[in-house]
Amino acid sequence: MSILANKDTRAVIIGGVAGVNAAKRMAQFDYLINRPLTVQAFVYPPEAGQQKEIFRGGELKNVTVYSSLAPALSEHPEINTALIYLGASRATQAAKEAIESPNIKLISMITEGVPEKDAKRLKKLAQQHGKMLNGPSSIGVMSAGECRLGVIGGEFKNLKLCNLYKPGSFGVLTKSGGLSNEAMWLCAQNGDGITSAVAIGGDAYPGTDFVTYLEMFENDPATKAVVLVGEVGGNLEEEAAEWLAAEPRRIRLVAAIGGTCQEVLPQGMKFGHAGAKEGKKGAGSARSKMNALRDAGALVPDTFGGLSKAIKQVYEELLASGAIKPESELDDALLPELPPSVQEVMRQGEVVVEPLIRTTISDDRGEEPRYAGYAASELCSKGYGIEDVISLLWSKQLPTREESEIIKRIIMISADHGPAVSGAFGAIIGACAGIDMPQAVSAGMTMIGPRFGGAVTNAGKYFKMGVKDFPNDIPGFLAWMKDNVGPVPGIGHRVKSLKNPDQRVKYLVSYVKNETSLHTPCLDYALEVEKITTAKKDNLILNVDGTMGCILMDLGFPEHSLNGFFVLARTIGMIGHWIDQNNQNARLIRLYDYLINYAVKPERPVPDKK
Amino acid sequence: MAKILEGPAMKLFNKWGIPVPNYVVIMDPSRLEQLGEANKWLRESKLVVKAHEAIGGRFKLGLVKIGLNLDEAIAASREMIGTKIGTAEVRQVIVAEMLDHDAEFYVSIIGNKDGSELLLSTKGGVDIEDNWHTVRRLQIGIDENPSIERLTELAEEAGFEGEIAERVGKICSRLVLCFDNEDAQSIEINPLVIRKSDMRFAALDAVMNVDWDARFRHADWDFKPVSEIGRPFTEAEQQIMDIDSRIKGSVKFVEVPGGEVALLTAGGGASVFYADAVVARGGTIANYAEYSGDPADWAVEALTETICRLPKIKHIIVGGAIANFTDVKATFSGIINGFRESKSKGYLEGVKIWVRRGGPNEAQGLAAIRQLQEEGFDIHVYDRSMPMTDIVDLAMKS
Repeated sequence: MSILANKDTRAVIIGGVAGVNAAKRMAQFDYLINRPLTVQAFVYPPEAGQQKEIFRGGELKNVTVYSSLAPALSEHPEINTALIYLGASRATQAAKEAIESPNIKLISMITEGVPEKDAKRLKKLAQQHGKMLNGPSSIGVMSAGECRLGVIGGEFKNLKLCNLYKPGSFGVLTKSGGLSNEAMWLCAQNGDGITSAVAIGGDAYPGTDFVTYLEMFENDPATKAVVLVGEVGGNLEEEAAEWLAAEPRRIRLVAAIGGTCQEVLPQGMKFGHAGAKEGKKGAGSARSKMNALRDAGALVPDTFGGLSKAIKQVYEELLASGAIKPESELDDALLPELPPSVQEVMRQGEVVVEPLIRTTISDDRGEEPRYAGYAASELCSKGYGIEDVISLLWSKQLPTREESEIIKRIIMISADHGPAVSGAFGAIIGACAGIDMPQAVSAGMTMIGPRFGGAVTNAGKYFKMGVKDFPNDIPGFLAWMKDNVGPVPGIGHRVKSLKNPDQRVKYLVSYVKNETSLHTPCLDYALEVEKITTAKKDNLILNVDGTMGCILMDLGFPEHSLNGFFVLARTIGMIGHWIDQNNQNARLIRLYDYLINYAVKPERPVPDKK
Repeated sequence: MAKILEGPAMKLFNKWGIPVPNYVVIMDPSRLEQLGEANKWLRESKLVVKAHEAIGGRFKLGLVKIGLNLDEAIAASREMIGTKIGTAEVRQVIVAEMLDHDAEFYVSIIGNKDGSELLLSTKGGVDIEDNWHTVRRLQIGIDENPSIERLTELAEEAGFEGEIAERVGKICSRLVLCFDNEDAQSIEINPLVIRKSDMRFAALDAVMNVDWDARFRHADWDFKPVSEIGRPFTEAEQQIMDIDSRIKGSVKFVEVPGGEVALLTAGGGASVFYADAVVARGGTIANYAEYSGDPADWAVEALTETICRLPKIKHIIVGGAIANFTDVKATFSGIINGFRESKSKGYLEGVKIWVRRGGPNEAQGLAAIRQLQEEGFDIHVYDRSMPMTDIVDLAMKS
């Protein structure tokens, strides 16, 4: 048996993330004692319509979030309890609605800092409606073997240690949430565990007082004794003493009262819960409460540590009198364990999971990202540059200073080529249409292909093949290319020619050959090819794509990374064009009629559909 | 509970039509000269000058001066502003009109669980304690507004007569409005005075407590509550309060000078029991502390270092109940770092540390703190099987 919460309790949680966390803890208890999920619905307008994932053991349940209490209750007519997990400014209204909902019999509020006036109003309203209001500032209610409301009881392991999977003989009443858990443990350690435990909250005006709960425990035949943890301030403990003394009671009372230290503190110094404040002339002092309870027949140790002995004493007396029957201990091993998460099992090496992807270039699991093993900040502090990062991420090698200089120049040289080329023009049209940067730049990016910028990879690839398969046989190479590929990638230019060379190519070739010690078999081969092709036609020169491709091959970059240099470099330019257009607030553009040859059929009637 | 200073209380009284004497709050004495030119009452009335700070026993400290003219008031303000009392400094003074009066009354309203209670007596002033039997009371239910007639009746029951009873009834009605609308917890006006020549009333002195939790619905509360510990906060207390205001959960710290047992305890309920246990076993506490609601480890670390710096301590009690959701491993890592840091700075010499705790990840947390034994700390670690406050008994016996 129990009070307040039992096997029939079904709850709605009103509140956001804290409420969801509580529901998860509650589901652990549901799993431990093998009962259906206690939490049936959430009410939280910002997340209305969402489903929250709650594990009951290994079983995944989805609990719906509603925008308000009414639809939650009409969908779930079995709900009889509301838990309030909102902040103080909204909690009062939510509690009011819950009190006024016919199906809801119990409202428990965890909210701290509820204004006293609101707490008093809610208490009055609950009384008018004949509802139980627990809290504010309550950690919740626990009925062993039946129901858990809130995070009371702590982690899963503790639920077992405190025997909360089966009912005992002790009721627990506390103001403090932490001490409700402690008291449950004491009842398990020194007695046979609890029936129900209620944290009423440490505010000055709790919704329900000790006496009301004592009366409920008195009427619960399973409860033989109650452990009450009170503190200085208010008069709930004095009322409990009066109740105890008023007539013979079935239940035994063990109590601890906090706050005697205030007797020796400098005058006016106060601390503890909001309600833990002594009144005028010593009214509500811890000492007067202890005395009142002792006079009324309660067992009151002088420190909290003394509770252990007191509970043991009461338990043994109840055993001796036959009020409590000794029970054989349940074997803990029979209780379920929470199913571990995949991560936990993997850590113990008991399961193998096939990875979904594999990476060989970077790792984000440490304190900072590492590129091929090197910490980014360390690269910075040791004077490395963006060229080195590119090299690490694209070919997992740290280039020499000479090689870095070449990479840097390749990117500098191909960063932009004016607004007229396909890529830049695409980005500009996007910018003029009011498209955001990532989309406009990717519009330009889609232009990169065989006719624009996308020949770097193939140029590198085939010149490298030439070096390997047709050494000293340029005509053989050209013949093979003609038969199998077509025009040689990296050879030929629309406007540039031998007489009007591409300055970028001239510079790159001369820099690499004269100012570095790079071994350049691909570049040399391509230059030999150029000699033959230009002899045939003036504009069949080694173009910038070809030059880059060969040098990058000579630098040892993987074949399919080569186009990346153009993509990366040209991104700089396209972003520039997008920013430029936006700075100018450029207008939407479209083609003029006179730029289009409308080679279409003349206007004609649409025939009837056959 | 949040006590507020006289200035803000007077402002709230004014707002609700409760008569107050003329007053000004100033930080700069020369401002009072200028105010004197602008306000006839400052030039023509007898004045009282009081330090407008949360300092107890102001009269004995010479921080209340009465019966002054304007020049004397300016001189008194000059003298008071800048005075240091312990860690507190007088920054503001309140200068009010000393109303000549014929009688002193008592009126107060105090919240209770069913609403509030109004108390009224014709025998106000310093003698009220001796005349407590003359007080008439009226319980006011939550959201009830007693009529002026009912309040006038109460005044008559208390011994007020005729027009005075009517006027007192009206003032009580406004007091009830002020109490209710300003989320007050208690207002005590003593004395409420009357000058019969012109039937002028004024609340000469008042103590008001407001519910600080209700501040979210009071846009015009431009004041801060006065320290609740009966003295101004120390620098260390202020630092912990600053941290407390920035984190989820909470850390609290109050110094108790001269104590030998420092508390580094968890939870609003359990922490008080630890302080009680120290006192019950004949010890003296050096502080009160509390961390709860799963605060960040760095906040607990800061609290730990503050506690290690307390002078003269012989024991530190790292106590707590079995937590519901405060992570023992995480909060203990803050405590461990705090201890290490403090030791490296030369604190904790000869200090014994006593630990008892349970809750989420308790095994890992306790194992980690037990490691400190190997680093030369005099630390004794117990788990949930040790009754909560019995580590205090062990400490006091050692």
